[in-house]
Amino acid sequence: MSTRQTEIRLSGSGGQGLILSARILAECFLRQGRKVAQSQSYEPTSRGGLSRADVVVSDDIPDYPLATALDYLVVLDQCAVEASRDMIRDDALVLVDAERVTEPLKGRFRTVSLPFIARARALGNERVANIVALATLIELGDLLPEGLLEEVVRARAPRRYLELNLDALAAGRELARRERADAQ
Amino acid sequence: MNTQTPVNLQGNHACALGAIAAGCTFYAGYPITPSSEIAEHMARELPKVGGVFIQMEDEIASMAAVTGASMGGARAMTATSGPGFSLKQENLGLAAMMEAPCVVVDVMRGGPSTGMPTRPSQSDVMQARWGSHGDRPVIAIAPASVPEVYAETIRAFSLAERLRTPVILLVDEVIGHLVETVTLHEPDEAEKGARKWAEGSREGFLPYAITEDGIPPMPRPGDGYRAHATGLTHGENGFPTQKPEEVARVMNRLLGKIEKHRDIIDKWECVDCEDAEILVVAIGISARAARAAVREARSRGIPAGLFRPITLWPFPEEAAKRAAANARTVIVPEMNAGQLVLEVERVLGCGRNVRPVNRIDGEPVAPAEILQAIEEAKA
Repeated sequence: MSTRQTEIRLSGSGGQGLILSARILAECFLRQGRKVAQSQSYEPTSRGGLSRADVVVSDDIPDYPLATALDYLVVLDQCAVEASRDMIRDDALVLVDAERVTEPLKGRFRTVSLPFIARARALGNERVANIVALATLIELGDLLPEGLLEEVVRARAPRRYLELNLDALAAGRELARRERADAQ
Repeated sequence: MNTQTPVNLQGNHACALGAIAAGCTFYAGYPITPSSEIAEHMARELPKVGGVFIQMEDEIASMAAVTGASMGGARAMTATSGPGFSLKQENLGLAAMMEAPCVVVDVMRGGPSTGMPTRPSQSDVMQARWGSHGDRPVIAIAPASVPEVYAETIRAFSLAERLRTPVILLVDEVIGHLVETVTLHEPDEAEKGARKWAEGSREGFLPYAITEDGIPPMPRPGDGYRAHATGLTHGENGFPTQKPEEVARVMNRLLGKIEKHRDIIDKWECVDCEDAEILVVAIGISARAARAAVREARSRGIPAGLFRPITLWPFPEEAAKRAAANARTVIVPEMNAGQLVLEVERVLGCGRNVRPVNRIDGEPVAPAEILQAIEEAKA
């Protein structure tokens, strides 16, 4: 008998690298020997508009591969808030960007607002906000063994962006540790 | 790609890998969302195996190029979405009439017209069957998972080559863009299927001969057989005819070759059908939702089952009738205004309540919606 599947959504605005982040996350779970189903929804523009990428993780191929009840949710833009409102589990962890999400979701779930985009900007490129948020999610959610995300990022990132991505990972982990310390 | 290790693979990528594994040597296409990744992977991979990739000037030309390449001996394919599938219909009819083996992938998006390019749909179910004018043989396959896209692309090539007919792979956007963990296997020669080439005497050769199995041996270009191919109704010699008795004979052979080979064409999946009083019939992502709904219904003590046509056209009607033997209600969830339901009504409607569950808003039918229909049927 398989355990219940885990459903993770990375959402925001088109061009924020959400599908890429989901592919990286899916690769991490694959290396863990899990089965993943990764889907996405986006608008026919290269930048802007609602974009979301879901990862459903289980021990067997799931009957239905799309997310229906989220355990983890990342929101990097206000435009993505509405799309997930009715499918967040009460025990879910929701991470929102402090700058771009002005009216976060309210519910019984835990919502944490953190400066992913500001931290990426400080590193020199807003576009690594996805990696900052992914690192925070994995650390705060205790989703994967330490080092696995970095292993996959190292394998996938273009060489000239590797340092930037590694810095983004460190920034994300740092945000998670500080949040954890604050919560205690 | 031959791997025993699991990989994460996108549906469209799996389609391209399946095509190459099946020995595809020619791809002509005009990239269109949500099928573009197929063209992208074919452009990259096909030259590595000695194949040819051509980005044509439009959808019509790409279907013409595929038909021509097929007549020239290549294992040929193209991929498109609804708007392009509409444009391909005339040449798809030509390929059916000339009996040019080829695979046409339609990754369905919201329509009509250019509709919703990035949103899923299943609204080409009837276009796949009736989109081109005239009575013509049609095979359409509707996979419901990434591993099935791979396997069914290989089977599509096999059926196309063995039966000398176009085969349509009807994929919804969700399955085309879904990434799943899969383990691929390399098909053997038998799985790839071979074309029936003309052999023996060139004297008196008939390129559209009426044979026992309904499939005329195809002249390989360069082998010296005298051959003529046309979209006009043609006799066994390949030249146009309008003589009623000859037309009836050759058209019955053309349409009959599909019926004659239902043993290798028909394919379906049954989940808990034996004692099912409520049967769900669905394809693609709607079938995945239905499987989840049926499992949940069973856990609540409701005798529900799922019948999933893998080969959609010709509809596997005998298998559907067996699956519905105990069913009082048949539920048909689909991402369109009601297309598959028409065929289900035709095949299973007698004495049963057939209920559609439709979505036309660019969202997949959710398991909860199907479960609700099952519970309503139970009450």
